[in-house]
Amino acid sequence: MSSNENGDVINSKNNSTPEYSSHELGKEFVEAPKYSCALGGAYGTALGVYGLVPLLHAGLGCGLGQLFGQLYAGGQNAGGPVGGTSTATTGLVEEHVIFGGEDKLRKLINASSEVYEGDGFLVISGCIPALIGDDVDAIIREYEDKIPIFHINAPGFNGNSYEGYEIFFEALIDQILTPLPTEKGVVNILGVVPYQHIFWKGELDSIKKLLERIGVKANIIFTEPNGFEKLKELPAAEYNIVLSTWNGHRVADKLEEKFGIPSIKFPSVPLGPKQTSHFLRTVGEKLDVPSEKVEEFIEQEEKRSYRFIEYSGDALLIVRPHSYFAVTADSNTAIAINKFLVNEMGYLPDLIQLTDNPPEEYREDILKALTEGLESTIIPEVQFEPDSHIAREKLRDRPFQFLFASSLEANSSLPELGALHVTVAFPSFNRVVLGDSYAGYAGGLRLIEDYISNFAGPL
Amino acid sequence: MPPKEYDPDHKIDLEKNTCPNREQRANGTNVYYGKATQLIEDAKAGKTKCYDRELQQTSGCVLNFYLTVRVSTIRDAAIIYHGPLGCSSSSLGYREIFRSVSPELGRDPNFELNWITTNLQQSDVVYGASEKLKNAVLEAQRRYDPKAIFILTTCTSGVIGEDIEGSVTEIQPQVKAKIVPVHCEGVRSRLVQTGYDAFWHGVLKYLVKKPEKKQKDLVNVASMLSYTWQDRLEIKRLIEKVGLRVNFIPEFASVEQLEQLSEAAVTAPLCPTYTDYLSRGLKQEFDVPYFLYPSPVGIKNTDEWLRQIGKHTGKKSEIEALIKEEHEIWVPKLQAIREKLLNYKDDGERLEVLGSLGQGRLLSQIPYFDELGLKSSAALTQDFDNLILDDIESMVNDVGDFEILVNTFQAAEQGHITRSRDPDITLTCPFQGGAYKREKSVTRLHALRGDADPWSTQSGYAGAIAFGEFIVQSLENKSFENVMKEKTADSYKDSWYQQPNPLKYVNRESSK
Repeated sequence: MSSNENGDVINSKNNSTPEYSSHELGKEFVEAPKYSCALGGAYGTALGVYGLVPLLHAGLGCGLGQLFGQLYAGGQNAGGPVGGTSTATTGLVEEHVIFGGEDKLRKLINASSEVYEGDGFLVISGCIPALIGDDVDAIIREYEDKIPIFHINAPGFNGNSYEGYEIFFEALIDQILTPLPTEKGVVNILGVVPYQHIFWKGELDSIKKLLERIGVKANIIFTEPNGFEKLKELPAAEYNIVLSTWNGHRVADKLEEKFGIPSIKFPSVPLGPKQTSHFLRTVGEKLDVPSEKVEEFIEQEEKRSYRFIEYSGDALLIVRPHSYFAVTADSNTAIAINKFLVNEMGYLPDLIQLTDNPPEEYREDILKALTEGLESTIIPEVQFEPDSHIAREKLRDRPFQFLFASSLEANSSLPELGALHVTVAFPSFNRVVLGDSYAGYAGGLRLIEDYISNFAGPL
Repeated sequence: MPPKEYDPDHKIDLEKNTCPNREQRANGTNVYYGKATQLIEDAKAGKTKCYDRELQQTSGCVLNFYLTVRVSTIRDAAIIYHGPLGCSSSSLGYREIFRSVSPELGRDPNFELNWITTNLQQSDVVYGASEKLKNAVLEAQRRYDPKAIFILTTCTSGVIGEDIEGSVTEIQPQVKAKIVPVHCEGVRSRLVQTGYDAFWHGVLKYLVKKPEKKQKDLVNVASMLSYTWQDRLEIKRLIEKVGLRVNFIPEFASVEQLEQLSEAAVTAPLCPTYTDYLSRGLKQEFDVPYFLYPSPVGIKNTDEWLRQIGKHTGKKSEIEALIKEEHEIWVPKLQAIREKLLNYKDDGERLEVLGSLGQGRLLSQIPYFDELGLKSSAALTQDFDNLILDDIESMVNDVGDFEILVNTFQAAEQGHITRSRDPDITLTCPFQGGAYKREKSVTRLHALRGDADPWSTQSGYAGAIAFGEFIVQSLENKSFENVMKEKTADSYKDSWYQQPNPLKYVNRESSK
């Protein structure tokens, strides 16, 4: 494996150790990156927790900007009852920059706790309070015994949406959580970032149901009707399950450090039979589930899945068999789709562009997850590329016939690249995602439906 | 800083980096609730002010209130957001929205949307980021070879005191594109209209050329995104019928169209408050005449709008002939809708409509609703300033008094007034925080995007009919509103609705 001056990883089959170099991605200016800022990520994460009321200590438009750039982009989803234009904000302007925003924040907390229905409150501080040096933590302490409230420092210049997810949980652990007795057979699910992973609702729900079938209880937090309570139950779990090569790792490590909860880490949410069976076996083993119970469930589900997949065989083999494909998506999505298409559908991986700008220390694991254990003789070329313009340029003149990407690529995919397009990643403006996902056994079938529908006609 | 006294004949000073805020330029207010007649009186007496709200809800800032979207649709330009990347993320979806308009309808097949964020980091905040900005400009030149590069500023670039003009002066000789800085820091103003003025200031200062020749058949029409692609086609159809040409700016315009604004016969608005600064600037600098009122919404307003254009282009008689011809097609259709709406209630009362409008739309929509046989007993407007004083006064004389709530997407206040007034139809911006949970009709007020479906037309004669039918449709099925009301949680406690004052949390001691 070698790399060129752009930081692309060019794989060749003969080298087994991944090596790559990279320019300082994310530190430079960038065109249309496929995520928002830390405030956007923290805000989306907060809105994923039912009963939690976010208060933005920020400029007048930060919330509305994130409605468009983070929430709608996450599968054309609005923000729910306390999101969008219902979200309270200090709405800082010049006078507050000069005189400070602390008084405004105090008034906002008072008024909001009077008006909003909510189990807990969360102040998310953006760029302006960080620049003018408001002591928000001191204000939050004034409310300690009055209302459940915590604070996240999330200036946009400190990171992106994925960072917003991590600091949401880090702040929660530091400010709200207290030790609880361990409940056997209970796991926390981490690494699926609301809105930023467009299938978050369906994925978490599928994982919960899958684990239920082998007798494991999953605390998925998001979308649960009593979300704020679920957050407080995090310290009671026996294990953390992290479904990402890098998202949620910091949270898991902190939960281990503070409450002694060990983690089981997977590179992605499992997609299709092979990944899902592996996931269930691994979890079953760690949690001492009798293997007969796990195997019985796996057998039943695999039988059903492959029988159903067989119904798509004619359409697949007559029209687009053994096709090359490319993926332009975040690491989680790319890893799951790549493995499924290569190892179960007989497709050939041409190019994988990772748009989520993962930190250096995780990149080797991501590469391994993308290039090892593949059943094709072809191994994909991998590029870490958050700049949408450069990514688009690098997609040209390649053999792939399918592009699994965001909706940003939807309109140009066929005319410019000759590839059929499926929206699978953020931003998703042309695909509404409510409960859909590619997780689990059913998720494999769903992905097949989506990409084969793209070309299936009268046979 | 106390607001300067309102000066209706203010001069636009292009020597300055940017425009004054609407607060100063026109005594704008972000909060008001009362009779229109009272608001007019208060505004005249200089009593309208901006206030802080103790319960403020997110509402768009000078940068992101569609300024981002409008600027980024300019065809052969590029846009650089000088800020952390979250400030620009709302631009993510717009390339595909406009790519979805078919070329048969007139979309440039090569339409692109080019935007870069300087992606400011902690270190940039400490050490400054002018190098990064300059590199982004150079890269934009290299990548897209644009005719203009707009630099949009943000809260962060403003608070850390970036010298934008300094960077522009330094880098301009190295790039072919004209660099246009737009000072739209979110913190600079409570009134989002300031953003439009800031944009026009940049256009007037850097892009509009001295006229080579006056084009007597050219009509500048400032469009905006809440009017649709179909509105553009309708306006174009009408104007071209009398042998005139329309110069649509800024959305989907080329840079050349902005450069030649000075050559037009007249500047006509789709939205007067949006176009105000540009119109005055073009008059002051290049003697292009303008009018601000009315907008082409509803039959009567469209008639008057066309007559104004006729006056400035020497096409008076052609316009009268056009109006006559169009009326034969459209007036009977409007009558049919009006009859339906007037007879909707058994008691013979008119249906009451509550709309959320920009102040420009307020002026055009209220008379249009009157035409449709609807009663606007109250209206919501995002902000209000003295620029529309004369026009609102004459409108109130025509259609009678009504109540106005001035707020920019304050969802709790809007929910409160919707519940207490309980109108038959609520017109809402799509993201207006749950105002759709009710037993009566709710529909959108405008399309918010470049919708290319004829159904979404709102301007001109075709639009008067299309939107009228839209309103009728909203009355025919309320299952969504009912189910949502019954089955989903409300955002606010009952006590919020039970207390009588929608402006309970306005802090009157904070007047600006």
